[in-house]
Amino acid sequence: MSAETTIATRSLTKRYGDVLAVDGVELDVRRGEIYGFLGRNGAGKTTTIRMLLGLIRPDRGEVEVLGTRIGASSREVFSHVGYLVESATAYPNLTVRENLDIQRRLTRAPHAAVEEAIEAMRLGEFAARRAGVLSLGNKQRLSLARALLHRPDVLVLDEPANALDPAGIVEVRELLRSLSSEHGVTVFMSSHILGEVAHLADRIGIVSSGRLVEEIDREQLRGRERSHVEIGVSDPVRAATALGQAGFARIERDGEGLRVFDARDRVPEMTRALVSAGLDVTGIAPVREDLESYFLRLTGDGE
Amino acid sequence: MFAQVLATEFLKLRRSKVTWLTLLGLSLGPLGIALMMWIVRAPGRAARFGLLGTKANLAGLVATWPVYLSMLTLIVGIGGMLLLSFIVAYVFGREYADGTAKNLLALPVARHWIVLSKLIVAAVWWIVLVVAVVAEAFVIGALLALPGFSTALAIGAVHDALLAAGISFLLAPMVAWVAVLGRGYMPPLGFALGMLAVGDVLSHTGWARWFPWSVVPLFIGAVGQRVTALPATSYIVVALTFLAGIAATMASVRWTDNAQ
Repeated sequence: MSAETTIATRSLTKRYGDVLAVDGVELDVRRGEIYGFLGRNGAGKTTTIRMLLGLIRPDRGEVEVLGTRIGASSREVFSHVGYLVESATAYPNLTVRENLDIQRRLTRAPHAAVEEAIEAMRLGEFAARRAGVLSLGNKQRLSLARALLHRPDVLVLDEPANALDPAGIVEVRELLRSLSSEHGVTVFMSSHILGEVAHLADRIGIVSSGRLVEEIDREQLRGRERSHVEIGVSDPVRAATALGQAGFARIERDGEGLRVFDARDRVPEMTRALVSAGLDVTGIAPVREDLESYFLRLTGDGE
Repeated sequence: MFAQVLATEFLKLRRSKVTWLTLLGLSLGPLGIALMMWIVRAPGRAARFGLLGTKANLAGLVATWPVYLSMLTLIVGIGGMLLLSFIVAYVFGREYADGTAKNLLALPVARHWIVLSKLIVAAVWWIVLVVAVVAEAFVIGALLALPGFSTALAIGAVHDALLAAGISFLLAPMVAWVAVLGRGYMPPLGFALGMLAVGDVLSHTGWARWFPWSVVPLFIGAVGQRVTALPATSYIVVALTFLAGIAATMASVRWTDNAQ
């Protein structure tokens, strides 16, 4: 683990009965970066986060946060870690301010931290209201305020945009960006929404069926946008041969048609090759694969 | 730091409706006994109260301080034991029911401090409840002007009530452990009721002094013949139950996966 690494996992594995929830995940999250942990529901994101926080024990592997190996007896390291796991929860009979005061006492934060957190998450109007009567969005804000309250160096946030309205999502995005860029806070956030992560994360780990299937930075993700041409043709087998002979390298069967990659600008050439081979072309359409399709393909739900 | 953890637990308890409901629940006990005393003192009134009056007369009750205070001990002993289980089930189980347990486990606070502070809060509330109800009972008894009062009787009754309450508390950590394992209110309440039922059965077999949940009923005469002094083995059994309960609760909070 380098000095720049804030969160590191080695061969992190957790099994529940027959289900391998997390399978050998290796992460290196650098100081001050926003790391998006992207995966579909049930991919193993929350289980990984729970292991990062010592809430559950890995069957194999280990976690280090800020150089401390995480276990059931880890304590001091959590002075520097703020977190939100899965759903937003609070003591329903206590007010927003009282809920935050509990966190303040347990993290040894100064008194002023409560009002600062209320201000940061725009909860002033609800500060004296019982948490039990808050809307889901405001409960989420309260949970985020709880995570931020003691000015942690590391934020571990499980689906932070849950239940927030579009304006709230933008506010939280800006807040996390400023914490990362201006205060050097490391943010590890999970999400199942690619767009949310693509907007914010410096680096993205894509998890599927408990495995980290790809780790890329934001720019690389943009570069993964692919295009292809879909062709409807009378005889796909002969058509694939004809296109291969004409110099098209990446061809996939797609039902009764074909997909030809990296050929967006070569549609006339493609048509000529098919017609010359005596094939009937019933349709031809260039398609641009967006990031969502890329994500779905990687996580096993794409076409 | 422990003082801060304790302060948060007191805040949670103070702001909970359940806390005040338990006070209301236990304080109804002396009122109920007082009502029966009031009825049996005048059979004519008993008739006007239908079944309650008939039942009170059939029980052969006499309206005196000794009878009144022995019934108070029963209420604090058996009713209190159940109520204390309810308090402990709530103090521990609410963290799982409200989904807040996960917020307590990745903090710069040792997990056993949280267990300890919850037990202390339950103990303090339990002492407040018992003292308040015993005091209430004496005030009501005085208002009824029951015959047969003596200082020695009063001291004996207070001693018995406090001893029963103390023994009941020694069983509380086991209830806390079941709340942690069962992640909510219902498993520990079921456990407490089950243990009392088993205690009742065992009391008829002569094993009462060996079974922790039979000791209070045995001491206050709720099952079998009331014993004037508990044998040392009973104290040892409840003390061991207390220590085992604390150790098990701390170990569970520390080692069990908190996947909820």
